[in-house]
Amino acid sequence: MMDEQIRIEERGSTHVYRQIKMLSEEELVLRESRCVYEQPAYCVAACPLKLDAKAFMDAAAKDQFDKALQLYEKIAPFPAILAAGCEAPCEHKCKLCELGEGIAVRDVEQAVVRYGKRPTVKGFLRMKKKQTVVLFGSGLLILFLTGELVKKNYPVTVVSEEPDLEQWLRAAVEKAGIPEDAVQHDLALLKKMDLTLRGAELPDAQQIRAAAEEFNAVCVSPALTAGLFPEAAPDQALMYDRDLHIVTGSGESEGGVLAAAEAAKRAALSVDRIVQKLDPSNMRGTEGTSETRLYTNTEKVQPSDRLPHDMADGYSREQAVREAQRCIQCHCDECIKGCAYLQHYKKYPRILTREIYNNVGVIMGDHMMNKPINACSLCGQCTVTCPNGYDMAEICHRARQNMVSTDKMALAPHEFALLDMLFSNREAFLSRTQPGYESCKYVFFPGCQAGAVAPETVRAAWTDLSSRLEGGVALMLGCCGAICDWAGRYELYDTVKEFIDRELEKLGGGTAPVVIAGCPTCMKELKGHEGLEVKGIWDVLLEIGLPEGGQGLDRPVAVHDACGARGDHAAQEAIRTIAGKLGMEITETEYSGDRSPCCGYGGLTAYANKEVAHEMTELCLSRSDAPYITYCMACRDRFAREGRQSRHILELVYGTDAGAPPDISEKRYNRMRLKNDLLKEVWNEEVYEVGPDFDIHYTPEALQLMDQRMILKSDVIDVLKYARESGEAILDQESGLYIARARIGNATFWVKYTQENENTYLVRSAYSHRMNIVTR
Amino acid sequence: MEEKNYYTIDPEGKLTCMKCGIPLVKGKAKFMYLDNGFPVELPVCPQCGFVYVPEELALGKVASVERALEDK
Repeated sequence: MMDEQIRIEERGSTHVYRQIKMLSEEELVLRESRCVYEQPAYCVAACPLKLDAKAFMDAAAKDQFDKALQLYEKIAPFPAILAAGCEAPCEHKCKLCELGEGIAVRDVEQAVVRYGKRPTVKGFLRMKKKQTVVLFGSGLLILFLTGELVKKNYPVTVVSEEPDLEQWLRAAVEKAGIPEDAVQHDLALLKKMDLTLRGAELPDAQQIRAAAEEFNAVCVSPALTAGLFPEAAPDQALMYDRDLHIVTGSGESEGGVLAAAEAAKRAALSVDRIVQKLDPSNMRGTEGTSETRLYTNTEKVQPSDRLPHDMADGYSREQAVREAQRCIQCHCDECIKGCAYLQHYKKYPRILTREIYNNVGVIMGDHMMNKPINACSLCGQCTVTCPNGYDMAEICHRARQNMVSTDKMALAPHEFALLDMLFSNREAFLSRTQPGYESCKYVFFPGCQAGAVAPETVRAAWTDLSSRLEGGVALMLGCCGAICDWAGRYELYDTVKEFIDRELEKLGGGTAPVVIAGCPTCMKELKGHEGLEVKGIWDVLLEIGLPEGGQGLDRPVAVHDACGARGDHAAQEAIRTIAGKLGMEITETEYSGDRSPCCGYGGLTAYANKEVAHEMTELCLSRSDAPYITYCMACRDRFAREGRQSRHILELVYGTDAGAPPDISEKRYNRMRLKNDLLKEVWNEEVYEVGPDFDIHYTPEALQLMDQRMILKSDVIDVLKYARESGEAILDQESGLYIARARIGNATFWVKYTQENENTYLVRSAYSHRMNIVTR
Repeated sequence: MEEKNYYTIDPEGKLTCMKCGIPLVKGKAKFMYLDNGFPVELPVCPQCGFVYVPEELALGKVASVERALEDK
């Protein structure tokens, strides 16, 4: 058994200010980039004006046209003209095009402009900017640029040959084929704008050159520029001519409504830079269309067509709502859909990773993310469900190891599990060759939870294997080390690994036997040992044939794949084959195979965060109403605890039934019982079990509280033993209960009891705290 | 200056030390955890020094302070 000297120590102090980076900045960014949750929707990325078409459609679908209009006017100072004339590249990029017809975005936009209302309440008084801008000429670019600059609160002067605003606007849109009602709509907006028109004035080159003295920025329509300054060669990205110092464009920027609107946005940004006497080419942010790496799963989306209009001028309000309701609000939540942990914290992996990274970097103060770090089951489901294989388990595991290395990891969340592991590898540890063999060709390693939950099944399996396999089958009852690996206790993990290797060598007479694992997680952990050959018992059973006496369930069952077997398709298949041979009909669920979620035991979630573990179990069980067949004893146990019929495949193979799930004390008792019974009956070794020399009974309430509070019967016994030896106890006269306590390891355990006689106790309650109490 | 107490319970004579056969009294004690100390006044046996931590205190305030310190 494992060295008694090995202790699981509480960290000494909260005043340890050490820090080691868990990842380099580059490694962090690389990981974060795999998460596409924040990537823009396809329609949004396709819009050069950066309309948030997704939010727009969401508002329209909810009949919130005023909100939708607000979103639209954010990018369009003349919304009716834009909605009428936009070429709508977003429509071609709509994800629904892959299935049927994409959303009729432009038609919905037109309806929103028509039926949406602008807020009547005046907003905050906005201060006019000090810098002034003058715009010469007319046309779509100048019109839109005027709108943009008015919106930015520049005092704007327009100089044009058209005598009034209406003619100036009509001149701009005459070639764009904009319907009259749209022109009227935006003319009303234009008339309300705060700008000065110097109409009926034909600007000349000298006037334009001189304008720079009066105004901070000078904008000229492309047509005027071409006529007055034939030498001009404006930069099309900046809409700026450096030699003439004017904001303008070539004829192409008047190519269409959308092109002009985009050019106007670029020009307006250049104006912002120029009035501050800054280079217009710097600090522009992202402009125009963008690329998106978004992934959107359309498997469950039904193909549909655009809603036809029955009105000559487009959708009615109701029709627009219905068309907008076709929008699937493209987003990626592939990992979240399958994972109770991510659902609980309502965070997608990129942000969770960043927060964990920052948490680990906190040298002094609160570590707000410790709970999420310890709540992940490290099951790796996200690596399969994420289109880019995001590995949240690696992040949380690294963070735990990091916190252990810097002495920032509290022992409390994992102490019970770690002590349980030591129990498995000390008191309950058994390593023996098959009687009659000096060394064995095989060793059966059922895993700690198998012995804890289904000791009879372990016994039946080993008896069967040792009777049918040639070369001897040894037995090793213990923990593979997964517990300390999950806890991030890497040094302890190495110790366990060395211990297991040493014991295995003894069983094989110098070299380790072939390990027959009964648990997928043990199998995965043991495969990490150098030179060790590991098989699953399911493979061996298929090789040598199932034993007599197996019996499947007579109802269709769901197989819950173990997280330890993720990626191990042979094991997943073997379980189904065995279930088939036992006559069972299997119903597959959406999250079968590699997509399987964790039952809540993995990663020590069941110890560190019972709430999240419970949600994980619930999510597993919500996949099917059928009884669950598992091949990990922890899964079997957790499902049974939630009241679902669940059986380990080996129980069915060997016709055993582990029955109701054991409590935490029974789990220890089962392991001890299994070991001692086998020692006595198989190896003829007499075992002296020393129990307490007094009787303890428990009320059902006390047992329930103890299970909830992770207090073992052995803890209660130790407290009462101490009370008997020291005489230290108190009597609470109000309740009539005696109360005793003892410090055991890193916690103080308290027991409330009544005493029938000197040697018989009835335990009514038990509780514990980790703080030490001293007098002063 | 009077020392700060984070918590005070007066047993009011309702608790008896079984070892010493005398009532517990309000006495000075200190919770220690991860190198942090919190002075409190709890039921204490004036003779043997047994300090009683009631269930509500252990599962309430003590547990929440433990969690807070564990995240430091």
